[in-house]
Amino acid sequence: MKIIIHDLKEEEFKDLSIIGHDDALIISDDGTIHNCIGCFGCWIKTPGTCVIKDKYQNLGEHFSKCDEIIIISKCLYGGFSFFVKNVMDRSISYNHPYFVIRNEEMHHRRRYNNNIDLSVYFYGDNITESEKQTAEKLIKANSINLDCSVKIIKFLNNIKEINGFMLMEEC
Amino acid sequence: MKIALINGSPKAKNSASEQILNTLKNMLSHNNEISEYNFRTCNLQNQDLENLEKCQVLVFAFPLYVDGIPSHLLNCLYELENYFNKNTENKITVYALVNSGFYEGHQNSIALSLMKNWCVKSNLSWGQGIGIGGGGMFSALVGVPDDKGPKKNLYVALKTMAYNITTKNSADNIFISPNFPRFAYKLSAEMGWRQQAKKNKLKSKDLFHKM
Repeated sequence: MKIIIHDLKEEEFKDLSIIGHDDALIISDDGTIHNCIGCFGCWIKTPGTCVIKDKYQNLGEHFSKCDEIIIISKCLYGGFSFFVKNVMDRSISYNHPYFVIRNEEMHHRRRYNNNIDLSVYFYGDNITESEKQTAEKLIKANSINLDCSVKIIKFLNNIKEINGFMLMEEC
Repeated sequence: MKIALINGSPKAKNSASEQILNTLKNMLSHNNEISEYNFRTCNLQNQDLENLEKCQVLVFAFPLYVDGIPSHLLNCLYELENYFNKNTENKITVYALVNSGFYEGHQNSIALSLMKNWCVKSNLSWGQGIGIGGGGMFSALVGVPDDKGPKKNLYVALKTMAYNITTKNSADNIFISPNFPRFAYKLSAEMGWRQQAKKNKLKSKDLFHKM
């Protein structure tokens, strides 16, 4: 299963001619997501599930059942937009609270054994070089923490440019 | 000098960010007018925006969330960016304290870069950041003197930052790990997870539950 996480309006997303993703789980912003409150309940109270009861409480489980995550996000200061960051914050039940040493650093151990390819499309008309550098480091760090592979990182001036990249990926 | 200490943790009390800011506050109390803020939700009050705009220094403290800034705080920063770009003529310098449960302080470096990039977009000056490892242990160290034991490295780094704040200096980021061996930190953290699970009537093996 593929997961597409995006912060676009419904009409904007529909207008993109994204092909080959008909069976993907689309995680989008319907305005109801709550932010992570740092309680660690998803590790020590209801392991594997966020304790906040909204439609985003099973993100860790969704991540465990996919082999590819595609993120489409506005680039904000070299990172994700509020919604996409919120999704990432709410998905930490994908990992286990215990630690492992990976790349000579402390990280959380895996809860699941699936392998994920991560593709990220950052968009925005004023992304600075410094923001691009930060974003590339961020995605590399995310991939170490998720213990997954980075497939694509692209920076787009306009979201419509994504069509060409997605089509190329499908070829 | 007017200094705002901004706690960006979503936790209402006993956050590591709160403890770190309290230690810094004790170092800055003389000859400074200090105001304190808690950004626990996504929306800021107009009064807060107006007050922050009058400060010379903003100090943010927050926990690392998935290698970056917690989403609710990101929302606050965006509101601040819009407000500062419309209203601020005052030159404000920003300092940031980012803590994470990982041992190595340098794992907070990306969050500090995000803060620096935010300063550029908001027309503010970047002062300095401290990346703090071992944030998970601070709640267990209440009562331990700030300049002793596992907290010593943080205390020394905060002293440096306090000096830079009072002189509005910009300086390289500092990254610190606890004054405590990594293997011992890992073992005690994992014991802590098991104890918390037990309080929730779970067994240690339940922590491994798969959906």
